[in-house]
Amino acid sequence: MASIKINHISKAFGDSVVLKEINETFQDGEFVTLLGPSGCGKSTMLRIIAGFEKPTTGELYFDDRLVTGGKTFVPPEKRNIGMVFQSYAVWPHMNVFDNVAYPLTIKKVSKDDIKKRVEQVLDITHLTQYTDRFPNQLSGGQQQRIALARALVAQPDLLLLDEPLSNLDAKLRESMRFEIKELQKKTGITVVYVTHDQTEAMAMSDRIFLINRGVIQQSGSPEEIYKRPVNQFVADFLGKVDFFKGVAENGKITFPQMGGQSIAYDGPLTGKVDVAVRPDNIYFSFDGPLLGKLETQYYLGDVNDCRVRVGDTLLRVIAPGYEYGSLSLQQDVRLAIREFMVFEDDGSLDEMLQIRT
Amino acid sequence: MNKEVERKTNPQRDPQQTITKIGLAVVFLIGAALIYMGIRAQKEFSSSGFSSESAYQAIYTLGHDVSDAWKKSLQPELNKFSEADRPSLDQAVKDLAAEVWKSQNKDAELPEEADKSEEVFKLLYSAYLVNGPKVNAGNRKTIIAIPKDNVSDFRQQLLACVIDENASLPAEAEKLTDGLSGSERQAMLMQIFFISCGSTEAGITENVNTFKKTVRGKESQLTAFRMIANNDISWLWQLVISNSKTVILLGIILMLDTILLALLMNAEHLWELDFKWILILLIIDFLLFFQMMPVIYMIIRALFPDGSFSTEVLQRLYTYPMNLTALRNTFLAATATMILGTVIAFPLAWLVGRTNLYGKKFFRALFVVTYMVPPYVGAMAWLRLMNPNVGTINQVLRAVFHLSDAPGPLNVYTLPGMIWVLTSFYYPYAFITISRAMEKMDPSLEDASRVSGASPLTTVARITLPMMTPSLIAGALLVFVSAASCYGIPSIIGKPGNVSTVTTRIVEYVSLGQQGMNDATALSVVLMIVALVILFISDVILAKRQYITVSGKSVNPAIVDLRSWRIPATLIVSLFAVIMVLIPFITILTTSFKVDVGKSVTAAKNFTTANWTTVFARTETLGCLKNSLIYASITATVGLVVACVMSYLLQRTTVRGRNIPNFLITLGSGTPSVVIALGLIMTMRGNFGVNIYGTAYIMIIAYLIKYMMMGMRTVVSAMSQIHVSLEESSQISGASWLTTMFRVTGPLIFSSIAAGWFLIFIPSFYELSMTTLLYSSTTKTIGFQLYEYWTFTSQPMSCAMAFGILLIVILLNFILNRLTNGEFSI
Repeated sequence: MASIKINHISKAFGDSVVLKEINETFQDGEFVTLLGPSGCGKSTMLRIIAGFEKPTTGELYFDDRLVTGGKTFVPPEKRNIGMVFQSYAVWPHMNVFDNVAYPLTIKKVSKDDIKKRVEQVLDITHLTQYTDRFPNQLSGGQQQRIALARALVAQPDLLLLDEPLSNLDAKLRESMRFEIKELQKKTGITVVYVTHDQTEAMAMSDRIFLINRGVIQQSGSPEEIYKRPVNQFVADFLGKVDFFKGVAENGKITFPQMGGQSIAYDGPLTGKVDVAVRPDNIYFSFDGPLLGKLETQYYLGDVNDCRVRVGDTLLRVIAPGYEYGSLSLQQDVRLAIREFMVFEDDGSLDEMLQIRT
Repeated sequence: MNKEVERKTNPQRDPQQTITKIGLAVVFLIGAALIYMGIRAQKEFSSSGFSSESAYQAIYTLGHDVSDAWKKSLQPELNKFSEADRPSLDQAVKDLAAEVWKSQNKDAELPEEADKSEEVFKLLYSAYLVNGPKVNAGNRKTIIAIPKDNVSDFRQQLLACVIDENASLPAEAEKLTDGLSGSERQAMLMQIFFISCGSTEAGITENVNTFKKTVRGKESQLTAFRMIANNDISWLWQLVISNSKTVILLGIILMLDTILLALLMNAEHLWELDFKWILILLIIDFLLFFQMMPVIYMIIRALFPDGSFSTEVLQRLYTYPMNLTALRNTFLAATATMILGTVIAFPLAWLVGRTNLYGKKFFRALFVVTYMVPPYVGAMAWLRLMNPNVGTINQVLRAVFHLSDAPGPLNVYTLPGMIWVLTSFYYPYAFITISRAMEKMDPSLEDASRVSGASPLTTVARITLPMMTPSLIAGALLVFVSAASCYGIPSIIGKPGNVSTVTTRIVEYVSLGQQGMNDATALSVVLMIVALVILFISDVILAKRQYITVSGKSVNPAIVDLRSWRIPATLIVSLFAVIMVLIPFITILTTSFKVDVGKSVTAAKNFTTANWTTVFARTETLGCLKNSLIYASITATVGLVVACVMSYLLQRTTVRGRNIPNFLITLGSGTPSVVIALGLIMTMRGNFGVNIYGTAYIMIIAYLIKYMMMGMRTVVSAMSQIHVSLEESSQISGASWLTTMFRVTGPLIFSSIAAGWFLIFIPSFYELSMTTLLYSSTTKTIGFQLYEYWTFTSQPMSCAMAFGILLIVILLNFILNRLTNGEFSI
């Protein structure tokens, strides 16, 4: 097991800078997720840790051992890493056993030992019955587990996962999430997980590093970054968020585009602000501060997805499903906001949100 | 890539960079020093006046004391040697003469005092043939026609004339030597002498080849020897003098490589020596020297025949009616073959690929297999079938329509006959290109047309055909170029029928010696430029050309139901297959068992297995077969190593410069065979520091240039289908690069590697066009042997040999199929 220290790592391809001055430490046994939109640099960071890419500047340490930096460069095969690729990368010319046994045969482990250890890891990954099958006879989820078994069999110090679930269907993805998390708990291995799916990140991680444009925007536990985003991008990336332009003064925020209606605010900011609200934090309330007209509502079973026009703005409200029957279109409604986030409006909002892909 | 950034973002100087730059400069200077030494050595060599021409004379005059006239002309040269040097020089020259003698006379010792006149003249003639004029066929007949009783006198008279310019000439020789003087006259006289002795042209040519090879190998040695005789010089200088051209060549290559390397490093901002660059440079060096240099040399020779720019050779060439006819024939034949071939190939490809025709797979395999049959074998079959007098088809037609016994109605020895045979061999090129495109076409495009209300036929006309246009044009152009640069078929059909093409003219010119070489060069340059321009256009039209059939990867296109047309269509295709494939092969087989080719094999006393037993019992045949197998194996193995290296560089690295060898290899495969061979002949006989003329190396190199790309394309496309993560996950499992290559990448692309090997091996195995120009008596191949048998010996025997070759090709195809679990066959 190992901790990873990333020291001033930058990476550029030609003129485009992919990673800027990354400085972080991943603790031993921690489940770390690198989260961000595609092209943000998270995969590059992972490939630098694996040793498939060399950073432009900076050093990388596993525990106290320098693996990349200066003249030192430890090639991937000498780093004692397990890695699962997005495309599974299961070798089609070997059967399940040979695929999983490969790292051990490379290490010249004795035949008996290989058999024992492969069986053990196949057992954890629920693949025992497929030992002699070839990958093309197996489903995507099973192939994914082969990749996982292969990554774990040599008891690496570190497990790297590069969007391993993105090629699976929704249900399988959910169950694999827990399998991976369980495996990590069982083995206590340090995991670096790369994904662009925030739900996946939230479900599994001890710590999430949200990356955008080669810069770590925020790091912290899932709850921390969901509840206390440091900027509009983080707020927007994690979950559904709508932004409204407002002016904060005298203990309230006034929204010019909602016909000048306002809500109470006791925070430190004054002047122009961006207010971020998650649709499920808005609710119908007879004494709510905002008055509007219900324009549409869609019944989705557990929730009722509504659009309410307030002034010139269309607000999205995710109300509980049982309220569907008690509302009718074009009726006046009052809205209250349970929780909202306020950011200083420095004009960067549109640019920040454009990044989402 | 990543290092590039490193340098850009780290402006401070790296000590590594300085070391590399100094290293490059040192290598560059070493190259320059080598060139300087080589040039100095050459200067000393020529300033003594001891030219290579007089060296030949010295060798033979000293080796075989012939005549005073010869000695007299050499005296000034010989006088340059001090008395003390003479004995050792004489000895060296005698040794050399003995060696030449041995190589020509099956290891016999040089006769001390035997009657040498005939043999010696043979050698002398050889020496002069390099520049000598040629006796044409008409005059040759006159000489042969001299009655037996008079021929002895005739020869005596000729010999007298060689020695004494004023002696009176025999009447038959008079007009031949008109306007000739000096050594040209002597060469002509000796040529007449040999013809009257019954010497064939091939016999003399063979002498010339052996002679040139031996003498050129020894020439520099002799020079070095002379230097030693004059003054005591160091072994290093001696080595440089004896190999001055090679030294200069090495210097040039070193300098070029360092410049190229510096350019690459500068572009990449990486001043470290990457092993990949060494590989790239090695391949580039090979191709630059053996492929580009000859071609450029030929272009220069065509435009600057006497050192200054002149279109004289070109003008003479293209105003000479024979050449104009050849050009016209080539253009007509190639165009007609292209049109006919495409017109045949498109409906075939559609029927086989997109309809519910019966036996589709069988027909597909059958039409594709023609692709791997040597062109001359097809030509031989059609000659037997459409010979105006005894051709089987003609006999049948005459019997059926009660025609008179006059020759005809079909005559293969004509331009249309040649077009027919070219078509029967080259339509598969178009068939393969078109049917691959058809099978890869997205079926929903046609479905959309059907849904819009179009009938199946309308859909073919309005959707399928227009979408096929790029591959149709590319296939057609490929047929055009292949037909235009084909030598095998015109050489077998055109020559007897006096239908000359550019390729046969080139080969004829080459056999005419020095003057012919100029004309051959000019013709070649035109042929090459036309071929390359057309292939370039076709490459632009169809970004990717593929040469082999990979099964199982394509989408399943919609199958058109032929309904009531299903049986008639199948019958038509079967009839076509019978005419195009079955009948020719059967003809070859039956002819190989005939005594008299004119009669049926079932006729009385006309069946024999003697042809087979005779041909394959001859040690010469077996020797040629062995040569072919060895050369083709070496070519395929070397070619495949290059193919694998190139595939890795192209598919797995972003290293700069990797496309240069790729481009050169593609260029080489598009160059007409005859042109490649001619270029090698003109540049690889020691005049540029490498002397491999008449050896197996020159043939293997020619095969490599022509066929390497077949292997490369196969391996590249296989590698492109292997996702990098398969290799990365092996590396992360702890395997080194080499282990990964052997255990993951290797096994995954094994079948393609095997296919690539065979794709280079098979055409090299039966090659004829290049071999005709490059062979020597010891390096004959089975293809050339077959050609000789057909032209000079016996058609049934050559048919036996042809069928033998066919069987070997089929066997190889079977092995390939097994080796790759049916994934590949050709």
